[in-house]
Amino acid sequence: MRIFHKTSFDFIRFRKIAYGFSLVLLASGLLSLAVKGLNYGIDFRGGSEVLIRFEKNIDVSTVRSVLDAAGVSGSLKQYGLDRSFLFSTVFNGETNDLKSLVSHALNDRLKGNHHEIVRIDAVGPSIASDLKWSAVKALLASLLAILLYVGFRFELKFATAGVVAIFHDILTVLGLFSILGGLFDFMPLEMDQSIIAAFLTIAGYSITDTVVVYDRIRERIRGQKPSDYERIFNESMNQTLSRTIITSGTVLLSVLVLFIFAGPAIRGFAFAVFIGILIGTYSSIFVAAPLVFDWLRLSKSPVHLRGSKVS
Amino acid sequence: MKNKRFNLLLIAAVTLVAAWSLWPTWRDYSLSQQLNSIKSAPDSLKYVLSNRDEIENARKKSLKLGLDLKGGMHLVMEVDQVDLFEQKAWNKDSKFTAIMKSVRTKASQSDARVLDILSGEFKNENMRLSRYFYDIRNSDQEIVKKLEKESEDALNRAKEIIRNRIDQYGVAEPVITTQGSRKLIIELPGVSDENRVRNLLKGTAKLEFRLLRDPEILLRTLDRLNTYVVQNNAAPQSIAVPTVSPSVSSQLKAPVPAKPATARTLYDDIRVYQNGTAYTTEHSKDYVVSLLRRSDIQALLPQDTELLLSAKSDVINGEKHFALYLVKKTPELTGGVITEAKATFGSQGVQPEVLMAMNSEGTSKWARITGANIGKRIAIVLDGAVYSAPVVQSKIPSGNSVINGIESLEEAKDLEIVLKAGALPAPVRIIEERSVGPSLGADYIRAGVLSLGWAFCAVSVFMLAYYKKAGIAADIALVLNIVIVLSVLAGFNASLSLPGIAGIVLTIGMAVDANVLIYERIREELDGGKALKSAIEMGYDRAFSSILDSHVTTLSAAFLLYTYGIGPIQGFALTLMIGTAASLFTSIVVTKEIFSFLLGRNLMTQKSFG
Repeated sequence: MRIFHKTSFDFIRFRKIAYGFSLVLLASGLLSLAVKGLNYGIDFRGGSEVLIRFEKNIDVSTVRSVLDAAGVSGSLKQYGLDRSFLFSTVFNGETNDLKSLVSHALNDRLKGNHHEIVRIDAVGPSIASDLKWSAVKALLASLLAILLYVGFRFELKFATAGVVAIFHDILTVLGLFSILGGLFDFMPLEMDQSIIAAFLTIAGYSITDTVVVYDRIRERIRGQKPSDYERIFNESMNQTLSRTIITSGTVLLSVLVLFIFAGPAIRGFAFAVFIGILIGTYSSIFVAAPLVFDWLRLSKSPVHLRGSKVS
Repeated sequence: MKNKRFNLLLIAAVTLVAAWSLWPTWRDYSLSQQLNSIKSAPDSLKYVLSNRDEIENARKKSLKLGLDLKGGMHLVMEVDQVDLFEQKAWNKDSKFTAIMKSVRTKASQSDARVLDILSGEFKNENMRLSRYFYDIRNSDQEIVKKLEKESEDALNRAKEIIRNRIDQYGVAEPVITTQGSRKLIIELPGVSDENRVRNLLKGTAKLEFRLLRDPEILLRTLDRLNTYVVQNNAAPQSIAVPTVSPSVSSQLKAPVPAKPATARTLYDDIRVYQNGTAYTTEHSKDYVVSLLRRSDIQALLPQDTELLLSAKSDVINGEKHFALYLVKKTPELTGGVITEAKATFGSQGVQPEVLMAMNSEGTSKWARITGANIGKRIAIVLDGAVYSAPVVQSKIPSGNSVINGIESLEEAKDLEIVLKAGALPAPVRIIEERSVGPSLGADYIRAGVLSLGWAFCAVSVFMLAYYKKAGIAADIALVLNIVIVLSVLAGFNASLSLPGIAGIVLTIGMAVDANVLIYERIREELDGGKALKSAIEMGYDRAFSSILDSHVTTLSAAFLLYTYGIGPIQGFALTLMIGTAASLFTSIVVTKEIFSFLLGRNLMTQKSFG
């Protein structure tokens, strides 16, 4: 079976449209980030969350009114599991109190529908700021590492364009999280540690496709005239198109499985990685390579590529 | 040829090591399956006894499941360094108290080192640390160094004491580690009674024997407090409202009855009885506690005394009442002298109590104290709450003492544990907690296994459909990859969590990428008219550079995630790292050997790559 065999798309010619599309994507994401902001999970905001599961079906508003009547302050949401609700409230060191309050209230007023507290997460404010910092550090360090590595393997222009593409991918996902945050009951799309893990995965993987395209360009561009660059870029991208799509495809397949089967705890992560890889594949063809092309065209200097011997 | 033999050997060795490392996991699983199939209890007991060694061995070396899959608690506790430094200071005055108060607020808002905040505050005030700490001749740096050492010791001691408590309580395979200068990370798999564990870990277990002041002094003191409260109450109403930090309990409290601000006296909250005892109700407890914490109230108490509440409540007229005790601030004796503690039932056989024995130094002191105070009451105070205040009947020469006023035998047992383990050098707080119940863990396992199965099916079927015979090689490599990841986890005693499974699922999708790159290249070379054998050679050669690049970037991202990530995320980063690294081996070396084997037997044609 072969798909995208011997294609001849003129990617370079359409790059301006792609740039425009990307800019719109980024701008709307950033706008939403500025206006609506992000939904922080308890990892980053601090707080306590109690996951309650009932034996029989029950309405979220019933449970909410019971907790309200008992004077337990906090917010209750449907959780992506059957008959389960997530109750979140402020953090204080006394999880015992919180737990007994919730279960007393539910036991007293919802007799006959047994409930179980299946998970408790409590994150103090100092931990939350710790987590936030280490997330930022990890992200920046990985971007730097990738910039250095690709710069070492190829050339600074390639590396920079690759990192720009990563930024593009992560910011798009971040913007999407802001736009879609809180819209779905089955995935709240909250920013927590797992989303940071998703960003790092996206960063590490987004460059994969880019490197495949770069590798082919490097192989073919040597000793060519700058006037031929457009043809070479296009041909290289067409030649690698099928592998770019298939490598991403297999990963998308397994992430889709995660999204469907791995349950609500992983769903936000799977969503982020799925979108990130989708965008990453697009950006390696429509952002990373065209940026290098434009840069080479504007700087008018011939490329000095490292790793000259493609063995 | 030699190189080829080496590769084959390498593959065989890796497979063997992986199988060897996973063997106990398999045994553990099959043994527990057999055990489950035995119906009657005596038979299963017999089975366990006869296979005890094998069962234990297998369990010890088998792949561990993470807290989220097995159910359990993950706790991060913080040693209260501010309290520790306060203990270390001497000739404390109001200036010192003010400084420490601002240090405490600042420390709770940032994660900067408490010591830096402390020395910063002193610098702002233009004061030398030596005014309160250690020797007056010490320079600030020396003192900071000493305090640093002190807090390091405190953290390590706290770790040991908490480990003792957990061991005494009995948790299988607890993991306790320190992080930074003030944090303890505690992992407790399979804990069923979380509430009890929390209480067990939290208490400082500071035991003190303190002399009680006479009832008349208590009454006079309360009178003085009352006058003060009434005078002050007229003005700011805020005093009447409990000023406890936003705790759940206070938010949830039945609406605080609206009391007319003017009429409120102390005796609305504290009741005094004929026999000279004073009580507060459960309802007013929070308010009284906050009142007693205020420094202006404390200043009104007689010299060297403190008002404490009882740990246990007495039920009077259907409402819980807590007794108030006026005790000397300086303890006569502290828990450091306790060598043995034992939970039992008291003389009537219904009231649980804890018997304690003291070391020789404590015994002689205790004899002297009891001898000098016959007829007076000595309060037994644990972590600031009075458990009992018995009247000393006679001199006690044996060094025995007893804590009663305990609600249940369980509580007595826990007291026994904390008293035996010793007091923590400073209070500890739970600052992060994640606990998962066993039923959710079972759900997670099901979800994880389903995802693994489906991801493997989807990806391997795709590879077969797209690359035909070559897909088989990729699929075999994929199986080996998963086996390697699991065996590395088992071999290094790391545990598999739900994020870890997600990492493996992601690895499944990424591991075949190397094969895709190679196969696409081979197809290209074949299209270019190369012979099958050289096309395969070229494919592996040419694709290697992109494969390496993409693996290095994924690996470095996963590594950084592992380094900076905390807790569950590390599990994900770990499996992704192992899987990506292993796929360099499985997708390149293993598949190439399979091809050369097939080529050697003429089982490959141009069509084999789809």
